[in-house]
Amino acid sequence: MRILDITLKDLTQILRDLRSLLFLVAMPVVFTLFMGFAYNSGGTEDQTDNRPVLGWTSNDPNGLISQQIYTLLSQSETLKLVDLTSGTAEESVRAGEVSGALIIPAGFSDQLIGMENSSQTGAPTPQLALLADVNSPQGQALYQALKTVLTRSMSAAEIASLAVDMSGEQGDPASFEQAFNAAIQGWAQTDSASLVKLELAVRETEQDWYGDNPYNQASPGILVQFAIFGLVTSGQIMVQERKYRTLQRMMTTSLPPWQVVAGHTLAMFVLVFMQEALLVVFGQLALGVDYARAPLGVTLVSGTLGLWIAALGLLIGVLAEEDSQVVLYSLIAMFIFSALGGTWFPLEATSGAFSKISKIMPSAWAMQGYQNILLRGLGSASAWLPAAVLMAYAVIFFGVAVWRYRKLKI
Amino acid sequence: MKILDIALKDLVRSSRSYFLIGMALVAPMLVTALIYFALGSMTGGDVSAFSMRVGVVNLDTLPADAHLETSLGQNIRDMFFDESVQSWITASDYADEAATRVALDTQEIGVAVIVPPSFTADYLAGNYQTPVTILQDPTLNIAPGVVRDMVISLLDGMAGGEIAYRVVDAQVRSNGGVLEPASIAGLVQQYGNWYIEFQRALFHTPEKAALVVTPLGTGDENTSSITRIMGMVLAGQLIFFSFFTGAYAMMSILQESEEGTLARVFTTPTRRAAILMGKFTAVFLTVLLQGLVLLIAGHLIFGVHWGNPGSITLALLGQMVASVGLAVMLVSFIKTSQQAGPIFGGALTGLGMISGLFTTNIAMPDAFNAIGNFTPQGWVLKAWERSLAGQPASELILPFVVLVIMGIVMFTVGALVFRKRFA
Repeated sequence: MRILDITLKDLTQILRDLRSLLFLVAMPVVFTLFMGFAYNSGGTEDQTDNRPVLGWTSNDPNGLISQQIYTLLSQSETLKLVDLTSGTAEESVRAGEVSGALIIPAGFSDQLIGMENSSQTGAPTPQLALLADVNSPQGQALYQALKTVLTRSMSAAEIASLAVDMSGEQGDPASFEQAFNAAIQGWAQTDSASLVKLELAVRETEQDWYGDNPYNQASPGILVQFAIFGLVTSGQIMVQERKYRTLQRMMTTSLPPWQVVAGHTLAMFVLVFMQEALLVVFGQLALGVDYARAPLGVTLVSGTLGLWIAALGLLIGVLAEEDSQVVLYSLIAMFIFSALGGTWFPLEATSGAFSKISKIMPSAWAMQGYQNILLRGLGSASAWLPAAVLMAYAVIFFGVAVWRYRKLKI
Repeated sequence: MKILDIALKDLVRSSRSYFLIGMALVAPMLVTALIYFALGSMTGGDVSAFSMRVGVVNLDTLPADAHLETSLGQNIRDMFFDESVQSWITASDYADEAATRVALDTQEIGVAVIVPPSFTADYLAGNYQTPVTILQDPTLNIAPGVVRDMVISLLDGMAGGEIAYRVVDAQVRSNGGVLEPASIAGLVQQYGNWYIEFQRALFHTPEKAALVVTPLGTGDENTSSITRIMGMVLAGQLIFFSFFTGAYAMMSILQESEEGTLARVFTTPTRRAAILMGKFTAVFLTVLLQGLVLLIAGHLIFGVHWGNPGSITLALLGQMVASVGLAVMLVSFIKTSQQAGPIFGGALTGLGMISGLFTTNIAMPDAFNAIGNFTPQGWVLKAWERSLAGQPASELILPFVVLVIMGIVMFTVGALVFRKRFA
């Protein structure tokens, strides 16, 4: 009962201050809307032509194969081709006028036409240069689009070589051109992509599936991030109690120390859980994020996430000596757990140490729990594992906090 | 002299505040570092830099009358088990689609490739109605695309073989010849070898490939995309936290007012204008110091080239004037230091958000970008964008002038409020 008294006192103290509502409710709501808007604007196709621009510099302007590559590229739906004057390629890429530049070397076509089929001779293939940063999204898009066009053009050249070779017309440019054009025509009629169907592995069978809602990433991401950021308000209670000597006075009572800790932790848990519940309801009603399809699973993940964050808050409250340190520690915790937990960006593309560390982060497990329900369309059962891991983290953080609490000089 | 004394005292006080140091230096560097490490591991150009787990269900069989050694399904399956991809693809066989769905649900695999029973027979018959299904974990964006490209590439190889046969056959026939069955096998074999080598070069030995990527020459510019992105990320953080730093440093006026020190200082012969000027100078210097430290750290740690000295100076000065102006105005509206948290948190985060400080590398709609024209943070971002792009100082004059005007207006409003309050 006395634990509940402490909890109630903390909650009254926190909620009496209207500033708390700004951190706990207003800011996450605004951020969710903002991030959803940002994801949405990045993902939807608007009127603007957002294709990467490829600069074309040919030192083989009349070559059969280079002309064919130019034709195929100018018909591409994934890039926009612009002609560059010779020698301006690097300058144009640097200035950001084009995303990359393709440089065709002099004699490229003749070299290909003149060489016997390379599969027999093993002769090196003439090379085209793409001047671009392939680590950039636009450079990567250009590289992928060029690979397809180039594969087909070079394949046509190889087929033409084989054709003139096997028909005994070696060295006859007209025969080569005829076979080359026939192969290009053959490729134009080929659509291997239609033989591959991409399908999302979701369990959802209802018609109004929400899986493609851009807020499915933003809503749980901001929920996790601001649940940690909310410690800015609740974490200060412990510090203030020490600062104003309330804790010392409380220690003179018959109240066992563990009950004091439990009372404060429970208050933090209730606060975090209330905030999560508010954001879940906001996500459901205002943003169409379908948390309600697995209420038990969402409650499990939110509950255990709340327990872990409350334990983290307790640890911060014990470690911090001033109010400002609570703010700082909470911010640092928020940055680290949010970035490594995949609340800012999907973790799929990360690798190395970042990826390995991410996989064990409690925030990543919370995200996984929500994504199982929101994106994968799984049921509440999918929340058990993330919830268990979060629970384990809560116990570990709580244990460390209690250990530090015992060492406090009160 | 007294102005400098007051400024020095405030600077010493700020330097003793862990909170201010944390907010001014640690937080922006931490955020940038986290994004840097994440981006560093997102090496888009090298597929082997990330790993994926693929499940394969091959239900395809080789028709009895097919002139192929193995079914297409078997080729697709073998491609994912090939030694050359084992460093980044972990492939497993599954009996049926249901088994892969379970594996996907439990995140045992990220992508499943399901080859239907009559795929080879249908393909050879020209019936393209039975596609290979690629089932993907809905949270993944890259791996499914890579798997899809691999399957398409293999099918393109098959299609190429067929085209080769048709073209060569037509060419030979037009010369009155006939393609012997042995020659057909040899032709398909030759083309297949060429195609495999061509693809292998593209994926594994790019220096020998038909398409060679030439990076931009290295200079001291932000040549790599990661450096460019980091420059913009750090610029966003620098701006966001410099406005925070300015505001929190300016808080000393409120704290001293609450602690009673300000009232005591006002009783001395020092003019009030000098006292306030001393405090403003301290804020100015704090923001300058923070800016310099972050610029140097950004260059040394993340390799960001901020631009030429003239452009950097204008961007930094504009940022300082604007952040001090806004700090003075914001703090002038605050009655107690307790109100600072929500006002700073709300106002500065909101302004930062609509100014694009958190979306520096996301293409936002024009309407959103236009909002930045009405905020000081938006103009500071414009200044840094131009400086980072290597533009000369002359290109930064407009944002600099706008920032100075904004700064002076906000400063004047704040100073007037303070004058009235401390009259």
